[in-house]
Order: sequence, then C-alpha cells, then structure tokens
Amino acid sequence: MNEHGMDHGALLAQSVGDFVQHGADLPRVRALAQGRAEFDAAQWRQLAELGWLGVLVPESCGGLGLGLAEAAIVAEGLGRALTPEPYTAVAVLAARTLEGAAASPLREELLAGLAAGSRLPVLAWQEQPDDFGGLQLATTAMPFEGGFRVSGEKSFVVGAAAADGYVVSALAGGELQLLWIPRDAGGCSTAAQPLADGRSYGRLALRDVVVPREHLLASGAAARAALDRALDHAATVTAAELCGVMKRAHEMSLDYMKTRVQFGKPIGSFQALQHRAVDLHIQQELADAVLREVVAELDAGPDPAARARAASRAKSRCAEAALAITRAAIQFHGAIGFTEDCDVGLYAKRAMTLSAWLGNGRAHRARYARLSAPAAREAA
Amino acid sequence: MSDWNALSDEDFRKEVRAFFENEFPEEYKFLPRRMRWHECRDWYLKLSKKGWIAPNWPREHGGMGLTPAKLLIYYEETERAGVGRMPDQGLTMVGPTLIRFGNDAQRAYFLPKIIAGEAIWCQGYSEPNAGSDLASLRTEAVPDGDDYVINGSKIWTSMAHDATHIYVLARTDKAAKKKQEGISFFLVDMKTPGITLRTIRNIAGHEEFCQVFFDNVRTPKHNLVGELHKGWTIAKGLLGFERLNIGSPRRPLQAMEKLETLAQARGLMADPAFVERLTQLQLDLADLGSLYRRYVDKVRRGEALGPDVSMLKVWSMDTYQRLSELLIEAAGEYGAVEGEVAIGGENVDVLSPFYNSRPGTIYGGSNEIQRNILAKYVLNLPS
Ligand SMILES: Cc1cc2nc3c(=O)[nH]c(=O)nc-3n(C[C@H](O)[C@H](O)[C@H](O)COP(=O)(O)OP(=O)(O)OC[C@H]3O[C@@H](n4cnc5c(N)ncnc54)[C@H](O)[C@@H]3O)c2cc1C
Repeated sequence: MNEHGMDHGALLAQSVGDFVQHGADLPRVRALAQGRAEFDAAQWRQLAELGWLGVLVPESCGGLGLGLAEAAIVAEGLGRALTPEPYTAVAVLAARTLEGAAASPLREELLAGLAAGSRLPVLAWQEQPDDFGGLQLATTAMPFEGGFRVSGEKSFVVGAAAADGYVVSALAGGELQLLWIPRDAGGCSTAAQPLADGRSYGRLALRDVVVPREHLLASGAAARAALDRALDHAATVTAAELCGVMKRAHEMSLDYMKTRVQFGKPIGSFQALQHRAVDLHIQQELADAVLREVVAELDAGPDPAARARAASRAKSRCAEAALAITRAAIQFHGAIGFTEDCDVGLYAKRAMTLSAWLGNGRAHRARYARLSAPAAREAA
Repeated sequence: MSDWNALSDEDFRKEVRAFFENEFPEEYKFLPRRMRWHECRDWYLKLSKKGWIAPNWPREHGGMGLTPAKLLIYYEETERAGVGRMPDQGLTMVGPTLIRFGNDAQRAYFLPKIIAGEAIWCQGYSEPNAGSDLASLRTEAVPDGDDYVINGSKIWTSMAHDATHIYVLARTDKAAKKKQEGISFFLVDMKTPGITLRTIRNIAGHEEFCQVFFDNVRTPKHNLVGELHKGWTIAKGLLGFERLNIGSPRRPLQAMEKLETLAQARGLMADPAFVERLTQLQLDLADLGSLYRRYVDKVRRGEALGPDVSMLKVWSMDTYQRLSELLIEAAGEYGAVEGEVAIGGENVDVLSPFYNSRPGTIYGGSNEIQRNILAKYVLNLPS
C-alpha cells in the first residue's frame, strides 16, 4: 500500500491505463484493417522500458520476476485499449516457455532480450486446430552430429508478424524437443494469415532447417512440462485481456443506452434492454471473479492437473462472456453498431480473435470435462 | 473454544466432514424439504453445544468466526452430508442484523437465545398486496404506553408455524412523504395474544409457509430495532445478508451432486451432448463459487454489501433452476416420478430440486426485481 491507500496492483493498473490513454490506440487498430502493420516498434520499446515485457522474466535475466497477477493486470489494460502488439504471446507464452527451459547461454540471451524488447521470440507449437497442448505433432527434428534438421508446418502463431525467431516444438525419436529457429534461418518461411481484427496468425513452413545443438532449449519431459505450464499461463493471461475487452465494450454500450433517445426516452430506460445489460454485467463480473481466483491459484504453483483445470475455467468463462458482451454491444447500438466507424466492431473482432486463440470456450469446457472425469480426479 | 481458522483447510474439512457424516441423523439426510423444528431440534442443540451453530457469526457473539474459505468448506460439507435446512432465520438474518443495527440490550438478550435454540425466528415482510413492491406495506404499528400495537397481516411467512418470534416491518408514520419512510422494524414474540396463523401448502404439498394475522398485538417499545421510521434501511441491510445467503452455491451444489450421481448411474457420461451441457453447468457453479467468495470476503472485512450483491442471487438461482431442469431431462421417463426412484442402483429424488429451486427466483426480491436494482443502482441506467 502507498500513501493513497492503493496496493501495487491498483498502481500498476493505473499506470497501464495512463500508458494506453483512453482510446488513443483505436485509430491505429482501425488502420490495421487497411493493411497497416500490426506492430509498432516504438510502442514495443515503451512496453519494454516500463518493464512490462519482463514482468515474468526472472530478475537474474533482467526482468521483474513478478507473477501472473501482474501480467494479468498489464494484459487487461492493453485489452481495454485493443493494443495489437503481441504482449501475451511474447511476454507470457514465450517467456514462460523459455523460463522452463534448461539453463544455457541462449536461454539467458533470449530472456534478457525479450525483457529489453530487443529480441522477439514467439512460440510455434500448434499444427492442428483444437489442439491446445500441441499433441498432434508432425514436425520432426532429425538428429545429426551438429544438431537437428527440422521439417514441418506450424499454424496459429500469434506475434509471427514481428517475431525475430521461433521456439518450435518437434519430435526427435518420439521425444518432444523445443528448438530455437531464427526467423531468417535457411528453409524457414513465414506466411501471414489475416485475422478478423487486422492482426495475423503466422504459418510457418520448415524445410530441412538446420538447427545447431546449442539451439536445443529443452527436451522430453522437461520440454513437455515447460510447454504445458506456459500454455496454461498464457491462456489465463489471454482471459485477462478478454476481460479488458469486455469491460470497455460494455461501458460503451451503457454510455450509449444513456444518451440515445427513442420514443422520447433514453433507450436505457427500457426494461428489456436493462435486463439484458444486467445479465451481461453478471457475465462480466463472473469472468472477473474467476480470473482473479485462477491467477492467484496459478501463482501459488499448483500441480499440473489443478493448474490446467483452473486455466480452462478462466479461458472458457472469459471467452464466452467477451463474445456475448461485444456481440450485444452491436445490437444495443443499432445500425451504427454495424458500421466500420463504430468502435464496438473493433471490440467484437478482438474478442473473436482472442477467444479463438489458445482454445475457445467450447474447447476449454471439453478440456475441463476431461480433467474432471472421476479417473482424472483420483489421479490428481 | 478452538480457533478453527488456525487449522489448514484440509484438516478443517476433515473434521467438519466426519462430524456431519457421523452425527447428523441418518433418517433426515437429503430430506427433500426444509426440516421442521421438532425434527431438527436435537441436531440444532448438538451443533450449539459444540459451538458450531453459527459459523458465520463473530466469535464474541458465540459464532465460529470462520474465514470465507472456511465458511464455504463448512457449507460444502453440509451439502455433501445431506444436512437438512433448519429454520435458520435467526442465524442467517436476525443475528447479523442485531450485530449491526441492534443495541447492546437486544444483542445480550436475543443472540444467546438464538445460539441456544430458544428463539426460532420467521420473517414478517410480505403482505397480500405488498410483494415486490414491499414498501407499499400496510401493517401498522401505533405507540400506546410502553408498547406498540400492531394490526394487519403478513403472508408467505416461512416456517411461522415453528417460530417463537417474528421480525416485522410495520408502518409507523402514514404521513411520510415517501412510502419507504415511516416504516419501522420490530421484534415480536409469537405467543403474544392477537397473533393467529393459517398454514399454506407449497407446490410440492409441504406446509412451508403461513399467513400471519395481527389483531391488536402488543410488543414492548424496547423491541424496536434501530430508529423509529428507519426500518427500511435495516430491511435493506438485511436483504444484503439474505441475498448473500440465497446466492451461496450450496443449494445448487446439492442438485449437482444428484445430477452427477444420476448421470453415472444411467451411463450418460458416454453421451457427448449431455457431457457438454453438464460441463457448462459445472463451470457455471464453479464460477458462482468465485463470485460468492468475493462477497463473503467483503462481509468478513466488515464492508457493507452494496446493491451489486443482487447479481449473486440472480446467477445462483438461475443456475440452480437450470441444474434442476437438466436433472429431470437426464432422468428420462423417471423425470415424471414423484419421490425417490431407484435408477441404476442409486436412489434419486428427481423432482425435489425442481420444486426447491422455484422460489429462489421469487423470494428475497424476485430475479426481475434484482435486475431492476442492478440496472438502476449498479449500471446507473435511466428510468
Ligand atoms: C417459498 C417462499 C417463501 C417465502 N418466505 C417469505 C418469508 O419468510 N417472509 C416474507 O416476508 N416473505 C416471504 N416470501 C414472499 C416473497 O418475498 C414474495 O413472494 C416476493 O417478494 C414477490 O412478491 P409476490 O409473490 O407478491 O409477487 P409479485 O410482486 O406480485 O410479482 C409477480 C411477478 O411480477 C414480477 N414483477 C413485479 N414487479 C416487477 C417489476 N417492477 N419489473 C419486472 N417484473 C416485476 C415478479 O418478478 C414476478 O415474476 C416467500 C415466498 C416464497 C415463494
């Protein structure tokens, strides 16, 4: 607590709010649809200078060494502003994976660079839709004296547009390997698949990419553990980003309901709209309550089964609530809500892309069900 | 008395579980209705003697003073063991109200009586013509010497036929400008001459509530709680507690246990369409727990509950009803059978959660009224 009675979480939330400044990013986000770059190097540098890229990076590597609680606050603030830069993909998903890798000069270099904003590693683990854990893995790493030759294809790589390299999952002799492949490595090509909100997924084609032995980050059970933890943490922080999106979108709906007049009254005085707005507010508060609990639970370092269940709970609730709130926002605004000029559309589209990435609501419900089955419960 | 909060969650759970499982009378486990006083008296006194009757009260008043996490464990274990719902208005409503709004004499007199099971309370708010619009109530209290004299009638008074006392909202100033002003909050002994009862059966055929008639009923002036004409504020403060209580996950949890049992017994877990709907409800319930703990935490920190607590009640009771409806669907043809049915080696009362979950969206301010409150006071939408 400081002299204003604010705890450090509230202070952090305030500085994120100050940084993104109410709505300042929206023209930039709108321009993405017109083909502008989804990554602004100046913005990224500032995120690094504020220390936020390194929130999860250990202090020994130049980061802040804080927890998901802080990462979630940053992500929620960036979500409110629709900041398009790949904060969660880099500062959570890649950072946590690297953190879980075995100590090596490369690991330290990537983590330090990530925190400083000079390196931009992203994770390329997924090949098939609805495969949150990246278990349907066809990419191979053929060992040779100096390292591996990697071939395969990766999809849904968020942050690929600006990445300077990839942490790639591949199988060598049936064992999972996590390997570092620089973007410009021979045989590695990246294509962009445009998303509804103007950002893109990267699709990687890897053809006999030569990966030196020093670029092996983790293998076997250790690789699996690092990857699983990073994915659960990133899904949870994405849920926080979705919270930011839904809260701002619902505020916009409520503001509009107070000002738009029809039949001689503000439309917000109509009970049908009031009750719908209330039900959505309940979804928002459920999402918020779940997120806070799950973040605290994950920061306490639970066993993997409990962690996975908690993360799925957060992602499914936040994804569905954000979709419901942003879609209703279109309806509450009438025809203007259907226009390109209206900001609610930007929120609806970001809700769509964040919901779909790292497993949508349905996928996480199914995962929760699998993990909750009696056999799994006893095993846990 | 032990400091339960010093135990680890697991140890506390173990202790509570063992006690409920072993000590709660077998014949009343999972009773499909509220327990009558003659059925639960021994259990109430046993809990009281053990110091466990008021888990939500502060220790200085004879409660367990549990932290939110422990309170939730206590309630979860109550449901798990199938401990029935007792006439608990004194514990959930009157006690917390007197602790907050009462005076020392009222606390000293009534709180120990509640703990000891000597005072069983019922709630006299609703009237035949004052339901959702409670502030339009017409039961009147007029000062006369050392007493107030009450005339009028209350209805839907739960368990009034088992109660020794009733707390009553009555109009004390008919000239007040707003209908919310000029209402006062009284404590009344049910044995007072002039009180008569008519019991009313609920939809499931149980005698759950009453109409209570007041014909020149005298209650001493020291039984006025808070200031004269300011009863509405207290009633509202109490509604916060009531909404928290109704919003607790423990009743939906009980329905969930039944649903999971039935689903296993009928092999429904192999049906992906069913599993999808079950999982949605499991998450709705788990997430209700997160929201609930947020409010319990507030109460424990001594903060007043604002109008936003209404959302807990809406979500909890809607979830409870959805659960009860899936239970009926999951039972197939058995979904029409009254009472317990044997399905796949399990005895399940399919219909009682359906009946028990209906009033939750009606009483304590209907869910429509809660949405009006949230729209007005939380979302600040215009009227
Ligand atoms: C099982 C049970 C136990 C009860 N126990 C007690 C008790 O112990 N003590 C006590 O005092 N009372 C008790 N009640 C009464 C309860 O508080 C009332 O039923 C409740 O306040 C609703 O009033 P009503 O039944 O007159 O319905 P009404 O107010 O007539 O409402 C009828 C319908 O209209 C809707 N409605 C009303 N106004 C609005 C509006 N402005 N906007 C939208 N919809 C609206 C309602 O939501 C409802 O669906 C109990 C009720 C039940 C069912």
